[in-house]
Formats: sequence, structure tokens, C-alpha cells
Amino acid sequence: MNTRPIPVPPQGSRLHWHLDQPFRLKHLVIAVLILALLLITGHRTEMDRMVTMTTQAVGNLVGLNDESQVVRGLSKVADSMWPPQMATSEQVARINDFNANDIPLFARVENRETTTQRLNEDTLQLESTTETTEVLYDPLGYVKTVFGKMIETLEIALWGTLLAVSLSIPLAWFAASNYSPNRVTYTLARGFISLLRSVPELIVALFLVLAYGFGPIAGVLALGMHAAGFLGKFYAEDIENADKQPQEALEAIGAGKIKTVLYAVMPQVLPQYVAYTAYILDRNLRMATVVGLVGAGGIGQELKGRFDMYDYGHVMTILIAIFLFVFLLDQLSARIRSRMI
Amino acid sequence: MSQTPTSMVKLSAIDKTWADGTRALNSVDLEVPEGQFCVILGPSGAGKSTLLRSVNGLMRPTGGNVRVDGLELSSASERELRRRVAMIHQHFNLATRASVAANVLSGALPEVSMARALCGWFHPEQRKKACHYLERVGLKPEHLHRRAGELSGGQQQRVGIARAFMLDPKVVLADEPVASLDPQISRDILTLLKDAARELNATVICSLHQVDLAREFGDRIVGMRSGEIVFDGAPEEFDDQRLSRLYQNADWGDGQPGQVPEDSLELDSAGGM
Repeated sequence: MNTRPIPVPPQGSRLHWHLDQPFRLKHLVIAVLILALLLITGHRTEMDRMVTMTTQAVGNLVGLNDESQVVRGLSKVADSMWPPQMATSEQVARINDFNANDIPLFARVENRETTTQRLNEDTLQLESTTETTEVLYDPLGYVKTVFGKMIETLEIALWGTLLAVSLSIPLAWFAASNYSPNRVTYTLARGFISLLRSVPELIVALFLVLAYGFGPIAGVLALGMHAAGFLGKFYAEDIENADKQPQEALEAIGAGKIKTVLYAVMPQVLPQYVAYTAYILDRNLRMATVVGLVGAGGIGQELKGRFDMYDYGHVMTILIAIFLFVFLLDQLSARIRSRMI
Repeated sequence: MSQTPTSMVKLSAIDKTWADGTRALNSVDLEVPEGQFCVILGPSGAGKSTLLRSVNGLMRPTGGNVRVDGLELSSASERELRRRVAMIHQHFNLATRASVAANVLSGALPEVSMARALCGWFHPEQRKKACHYLERVGLKPEHLHRRAGELSGGQQQRVGIARAFMLDPKVVLADEPVASLDPQISRDILTLLKDAARELNATVICSLHQVDLAREFGDRIVGMRSGEIVFDGAPEEFDDQRLSRLYQNADWGDGQPGQVPEDSLELDSAGGM
């Protein structure tokens, strides 16, 4: 539209051909400044120490070096994490309404003898006493617990996504400049969306656990609010960028704003909306495993508890379960996506 | 009804000045009686679209007033008025990803409750009417569930016409309805539009740039140039001399200074494509 002809110099005027070097002193100064900044920040984040320690660890592994803090630490954890804990055993006496005929699959009731040495106060000699306790031993008990927690994690992710979608649809309406009733509602909606997006799930969850207590409520709300910030922005921008022509056609017959969006905008943006929502679900599945660390339910809460109690065998089981679930869900979503496109 | 044609659309002293100071319409008066097929002809940038869009308030004139079927256009009456005025667009303006059926049914939206609109639960009569008009414009039942974007240009405009007639309009505004179609299909589409409008005794205001089509279909031709009406009469009165005068020194809308067509006859055939 605003094209102007390229000015042509008058005939016969002298032309100065001149081609500069690509770099000048300015660029050297910038390079030095960047280097200095890297050195300072690198030292502050202990990158120099990291390099030394990693070198030591590599040296230790290939036999050049006897001592490495990193290798020692890692092998200590690895030793205590293996094998992963799969079984549970629980004293029958502590189980409410225990029914010996109705026990989980593969589980069995065992008698365990525990020998304790006690000082006899009369004879002043150590005596060993043996007690027999009935124990319900389930070889897959902990696997079942972890599976249940993983399902809870999935449910948290699902409900977080549902909450995000239902929150962001009205938000997107007010945050789309061509449908928001006025400038004030537009600014408020945009501000609210930015606010939701700017606070990480983990921090939101931390506060929500104070409000709603430990458990999945805080997790669902935290995931939902953060994701609503994303979806609200994406939904609104798609509404703004949608093709105006079909909208004009419905405006021209006085269909009203809401019906115009339903029939002229939604058909255009729906595939994108599905893609955004699928991405948010994917992201929520990953985040749902993490929000439990602050007590917001799901597998993360179990992980944190076991980690704090130094039950590294249990931690290993949980880590394997998380890996398997994320891997399977990735496969599943890739398959669904390839079928949809 | 038709023996005493009453004024259906009445534009009085319509002015439109764009924000940058360009005058698009300069005190235009136009009265179109009921049931007339009125063609507006003129070079690009003459203000044809602006005039059409002033009738249903898509364009707010800076001066003058609009009356449709006795109702004066204002922000209060706008929605009521728009229900009686259908529009057919140059680029069809269909929701291309939605089905043909959804597009036609969306023409009835102003009469549908919000709850029904939300779930797409249109009245059985409206569904029947949509099918009727789709048949009327020459589409087949298998087109119903096809995406509108998959159809050819001519078929898309047929869907556009079916959509326009869903509310039994009193007035149909057709903004260059055949500008992007080939001549044979253009003729079919205009025939369809004219016949359908006649059945309902609807008034049609149709802007065109093909002179031969204007002469063939118009009950009346209104010639526009630079935002003013320079010719208004029966197609027979619109001879080649008037035609060349209408297009002479016209601003062709590409920023080039006006060019004089060498020969009016050549322009005539160019207009017919």
C-alpha cells in the first residue's frame, strides 16, 4: 500500500561506493563486556567448582583419581535405592476389620518372630524374648499403592485442565479486543490472565495447601489457575486473529456477539483450541507429579514423604512409576495426534 | 401488494467521510420501491460498497438518514432492522471449516434462542427451510455435511444465497455477489437471486461491475462515481455513451491518476469478462 519509488540519483552525479568492515571497536567492547558478565555470573553460580568436581568424578571413574565427592554421593544413593521396594507388610492387629478370607491377590498372612534382647532387672542379665506377630505380607502392596497414587495424579491433571478450560473461556471473551465490552474489561482480563500465568504452579500450590489443607484440591486449583493463564491468552489471540469475513456476515443480520463467535469464529479456531488444550493436559500431567512435593496430593506427596524418611527403595519405585507413566502417555498422545491430523 | 409499490429502502442525504478526510459518499439520495431489483454500477472506489453497507448500518454514515420498511436506522433499531435485511457478500463470507448446513442455519441465528444456538439445536422448521433453500439454489443433499470451504466458488455463493433467505428478508443487499465467479456461473447465480427475491417480493440492491449483467438483470440501474449518483434509470436508457462517461477518468483505486478508456466498447466487453 505505502510503497514509494526508490529515489534515483540524478544523471551524472558522482556515486560513492563504500563497504564497511563488519566489526568495529564497538563490537570488541561488547564482546569483552559479555565475557566479563559470563565470568562473574559463572563464578556466582559455582560453575567453576562444578567443572572441577565433574573432572574429579570422571577421573575417579576411569581410575586416575582416588577421591570424588560426586561419585561417593551418587553411589551411596544408588546403593540404598536398589532394589526398589515392591512389597508391604502390615501387622494384622493394626488392620481394622481384618478378614483372613478376604485378602488382596498374591498376599498372604505370615507369622513373624521378632527376637528382642532385654535386660532382666533381677538377674542383671540379657535375656532374649521372642514374640510372634501375625503380619499381612503383600509382595506387590507398594506397587499397588504407587499405582493408586499415579491414578490420583492423572485425575488431578485432568481436573486441572477442565478447570483451566472453563476458567479461560470467559476470560478469553473479555481479553479479545474485538469482543470485550470495553477498554476497562479488556485491560482487567488481560491483567488477570498475565497474573495467573506469572505465578508458577508450585508456588500457587504452596499457598493453596495452607488454604485447603494437604490433598488434591490444592493441586487441581494450582494447575487449573496457571493453565487458565496460558489458555486464556491463546484462546483470546485466536479470536482476535480469526477471519473477519464470516463474522461480518452474521453481524450484518444482527445475530449478536455471542452467536457470531459461536458460528463464525469457533469453527475456525476449534482445531487450534484442541491443540492448545492437549498441550496443557500434557503439561499438567507432568506438573501434577511435582505439585505433590508441597503437599498438593498425588504421587509427589508420596515421593516427598518417602524421601524425607530416607525410604530410598520406595523412592526408586515411585521414580520408575513416574517414568513409565510419562513415557506411556507420550506414546498415547503421539498416537492420538497422528490420528487426528 | 405489488400493484402499489411502496418505498422499501429510503436513503436521504447520506454523507460519509472517512477518518483520513476522504469523502466516500456525498449527499446520496436513493429510494428503492418494494420488489425492485436495483443494480448499482460504477468503477472501483465509486462508493458502491459503502452505500450498500449504509443500508444495514455496517457502515455508519456521517450524515443523513436511512429508512428500511418504515423503520429508521439508529443504534436502538439496528438489530431489528438487520433482521429484515439480508446480505450477500463478494467473498461469500462463509465459515469455511463449518458444514454447509451449519452455514445456512446460521442465517436464522437472530431468531434462535441462546440455549438452542449453543447446542446447535435449531427448530425443525428451520432445518426444513435450510434444506428447501439449499435445494432451491441447486445443491444436493450430499452437500449438507460437507465443509463449506471444500465447495467451488459458485457453490459457495449458492450457500451464501440460501443463508441470506433464511429469515425471509424484505431487502437483500448483494455486494458484488459475482465478482469472483466466471461469466456463466455469474449469470446462474444472478438468475437464482432474482427468482428467489421475486418469490418473496424482496427488494434487491445489488452492486455489480459487469455492465452486461447489469443491463440483463437490473430493473433499474444506478450509476455511481466518486461518491455521487450520476445516473439513475431503466437499463434501456443506459447506453454506451452514458457508460463511457461513467467510467471516464475514473479513479481505479490503485493510486494511479485517472485513465481514459480508449474505447467504450472495449470497456463494455471487459466489464462482461
